Amino acid sequence: MIQVPGDIQIIKEDNVTHSFCGLACVGWMYQKIKDSFFLILGTHTCANFLQNALGMMIFAKPRFGIALMEEGDLSKNEPTLQEIISEIKADHNPSVIFLLSSCTPEVMKVDFKGLAHHLSTPEVPVLFVPASGLVYNFTQAEDSVLAALVPFCPQAPAGEKKVVFLGSINDSTADDLRAEAEELGIPVGGFLPESRFDKMPAIGPDTVLAPIQPYLSRVAVKLSRERGCSVLHSLFPFGPDGTRAFWEDLAREFGITVDLRDREKAAWEKIRKQTDLLKGKKVFFTADTMMELPLARFLHNAGADVVECSSAYIIKKFHARELEALDGVRVVEQPNFHRQLEDVRRIKPDLIITSLMTANPFVGNGFVVKWSMEFMLMPIHSWSGVISLANLFVSPLQRRSKLPAFDEKVWLEGVMPSAE
Amino acid sequence: MRLAFWLYEGTALHGISRVTNSMKGVHTVYHAPQGDDYITATYTMLERTPQFPGLSISVVRGRDLAQGVSRLPTTLQQVDNHYHPELIVIAPSCSTALLQEDLHQLAAHSGVSNERLMVYALNPFRVSENEAADGLFTELVKRYAVSQEKTVAPSVNILGFTSLGFHLRANLTSITRMLQTLGITVNVVAPWGSSIEDLGRLPAAWLNIAPYQEIGVNAAAYLEETFSMPSLTEAPLGVESTMAWLRSLIEKLNTTGAERGVPPLVMPNLKAFSLDGLSAPSGVPWFARTADMESFSNKKAFVFGDATHTVGIVKFLRDELGMQIIGAGTYLEQHADWVRKELEGYLPGALMVTDRFQDVAQVIEDEMPDLVCGTQMERHSCRKLDVPCMVVCPPTHIENHLLGYYPFFGFAGADVIADRVYLSCKLGLEKHLIDFFGDAGLEYEESAQATEAHAAQSESNEELSSTVERASAVVPATIETSDDGEMKWSDEAETMLKKVPFFVRKKVRKNTENFARGIGEPVITVEVFRKAKESLGG
Repeated sequence: MIQVPGDIQIIKEDNVTHSFCGLACVGWMYQKIKDSFFLILGTHTCANFLQNALGMMIFAKPRFGIALMEEGDLSKNEPTLQEIISEIKADHNPSVIFLLSSCTPEVMKVDFKGLAHHLSTPEVPVLFVPASGLVYNFTQAEDSVLAALVPFCPQAPAGEKKVVFLGSINDSTADDLRAEAEELGIPVGGFLPESRFDKMPAIGPDTVLAPIQPYLSRVAVKLSRERGCSVLHSLFPFGPDGTRAFWEDLAREFGITVDLRDREKAAWEKIRKQTDLLKGKKVFFTADTMMELPLARFLHNAGADVVECSSAYIIKKFHARELEALDGVRVVEQPNFHRQLEDVRRIKPDLIITSLMTANPFVGNGFVVKWSMEFMLMPIHSWSGVISLANLFVSPLQRRSKLPAFDEKVWLEGVMPSAE
Repeated sequence: MRLAFWLYEGTALHGISRVTNSMKGVHTVYHAPQGDDYITATYTMLERTPQFPGLSISVVRGRDLAQGVSRLPTTLQQVDNHYHPELIVIAPSCSTALLQEDLHQLAAHSGVSNERLMVYALNPFRVSENEAADGLFTELVKRYAVSQEKTVAPSVNILGFTSLGFHLRANLTSITRMLQTLGITVNVVAPWGSSIEDLGRLPAAWLNIAPYQEIGVNAAAYLEETFSMPSLTEAPLGVESTMAWLRSLIEKLNTTGAERGVPPLVMPNLKAFSLDGLSAPSGVPWFARTADMESFSNKKAFVFGDATHTVGIVKFLRDELGMQIIGAGTYLEQHADWVRKELEGYLPGALMVTDRFQDVAQVIEDEMPDLVCGTQMERHSCRKLDVPCMVVCPPTHIENHLLGYYPFFGFAGADVIADRVYLSCKLGLEKHLIDFFGDAGLEYEESAQATEAHAAQSESNEELSSTVERASAVVPATIETSDDGEMKWSDEAETMLKKVPFFVRKKVRKNTENFARGIGEPVITVEVFRKAKESLGG
């Protein structure tokens, strides 16, 4: 048990299973940074993961690929990537190449930093991104990508007080956040990341860094250490509660006092039908994307009974406000899946937020589920995301109530012979 | 080291899990870093498993390696307590294989009895999905099959049916129905749905059916060698193959029957194999003779896939539908010799053997066949080229895991394949009408396709193409330029090309360009286009 301010107790167990490694971030990062190429130094496993689990197909010219390590490469001291880099440059003409590590070269102790340095040219930098499953969970390699981009954020001069939003979101959500900030009188310095490599935001001692995704603690710490910028410690801008706290706290950093109580109330009112349905519903998070804490906090404030909120990693300082807001909720870091299965059977939650690997089996066991990954692919930030957010939780419950009765003895017959 | 974007075969771990996920009471424990159990999602999502697949991971973390900690013993205990498997297969992944740990010793610390543990450590850099699945299945058969009395009545085992197999359930149903019609009992199906006890009972059957070259034939070979069980390793794919398969099955069982004094099986009237018991078992032989199908004599097909389906489909298309085979290939190098032997005399050139989808896509682009039979990847490549394609083997996509009964094996399978060929290819009489009178009001389809094609273009090309568009809008009369080696077309020739039915337009464009290059014309004018039409017979 770890004690954090506010007396929240975090139960720490032994490991997360049924989740992805850091390479998963390629799925959204290559789409976000449009003039980039993501090169993974990895094996058949990495390639098979990207194409299978993320369901990624190869469109015209994908801006990601695997430098495939084969048996003969294992005995070499240093991988020779020069030819592959030339091929990528010729075919894609990227402004930046991210070189992602994976488990096998990590075990081989490949000197990635040296390798990236060696391959870099002033025109096309090659940036090392630690991403292997030995260390990094699902969303966490975005943290590594952003950290690699830090040297390419211009130095903002002292006295230039602007907010830089931290975390990749789609362009329309970014527009919403920018407009909202400007309306409140908060000068916007930009987003890390922007959608082009040469457009990364200026960051300096008077920048206020506002994290909008809960898995980016390392780059936040790095920026505050290297650039002296301040980091907003608030709730993440999800749901009426989180959004109000986020904007009020951010405005305060700029000496602006705003009272968004009415706005919050109106937002709750807009999703009253959804929250009426969620009230008292037992919800269980099994741990997957590291978005669990703010999502559970929204549900908790919406009146749901969050029976367990598990997350792969909980960073006490970075997540402090979310943890305070989760007072009274069972919070678990690195949960044990076997224990979770037993608890789920005992508690019988009304809704389970869980990974692609476990969702259907939970349904087969009679539960209602929502894919955790969907929360990453939907615009759920700030005021404009409130309805989407609420609907994501409510739609599986509603759908289940609309479907006819289900006799599993009849309709699951022969579906999975190995389990009979 | 090479740059890869997409691979046909899965990893050795994938192959291992396909076998254990098929079986009752068998569990795989991956000794691997977080995320290497991503394979689990392929079962829970593609097969929509209503229970947790028998796969767990003993997570190896960087910190554990530094501290010399292993979670394997604890994970094994947890799996044992939770799932009570009869056998736990322990498998390292590519990174943990390099650690050269003694997994036997580590596993022994779990307290789970040794005979219930099996360390299956392959070299993941050398062995891929199919070889690993086949290898593990053979190992399990060797480990558990025991000598015993044969069944009194003729019986068979059906081997090689494995989780995530292509149209697995429907193929199994199709085979089982034919066996029922013949009065043959199914002793064991494995690994799909079998238990360890079932593997023990394998030698009670008279014969093994192992229709997949990729998985199951080696187990059948072992059983033949050790327990003198004959095997049938052909795939009943197409009407002719199914008939040959049935005759061979009956003959082999009757040989055993004669030794045992059991009355011989006889081939029933073929209508007994039909769904209603009153009709021809397949519509293919008559369908292929109809006037409608005449146009298929000129249709060119290209087939690329695993070993079993590549061979079966090539034979079916040529021998039963009368199509032309312009080429074939496989991504399974270890089975290439078998495919070559089977397809001797069928292919105009050498068998293509590659695991690079780009090379396959290039062949398709160069040849522009009328039909491609391939994997999910060829379907994708063909969509970009607007070439008709049907998926005939793994790797598959969620679209290949449908609910309906669509076997590829047996008489019903022949009908399914023929239907798909027919629906995929451009039609006969309708095509004549369109060719003769123009586009028959179908032109609107092109604009939709053009939008799609545009969307599929890489973003890096976007700027370029919009520049080209703007330039041509300013100077409409000039010849359209393009800087990536494509031929230039004059506006008049372009207008003429628009009169060609949309679905062959791309092909005509390409053929005309090749023709122009051949005669050294840098620009396609109306004259060049006419010359090309004359010489190419378009």
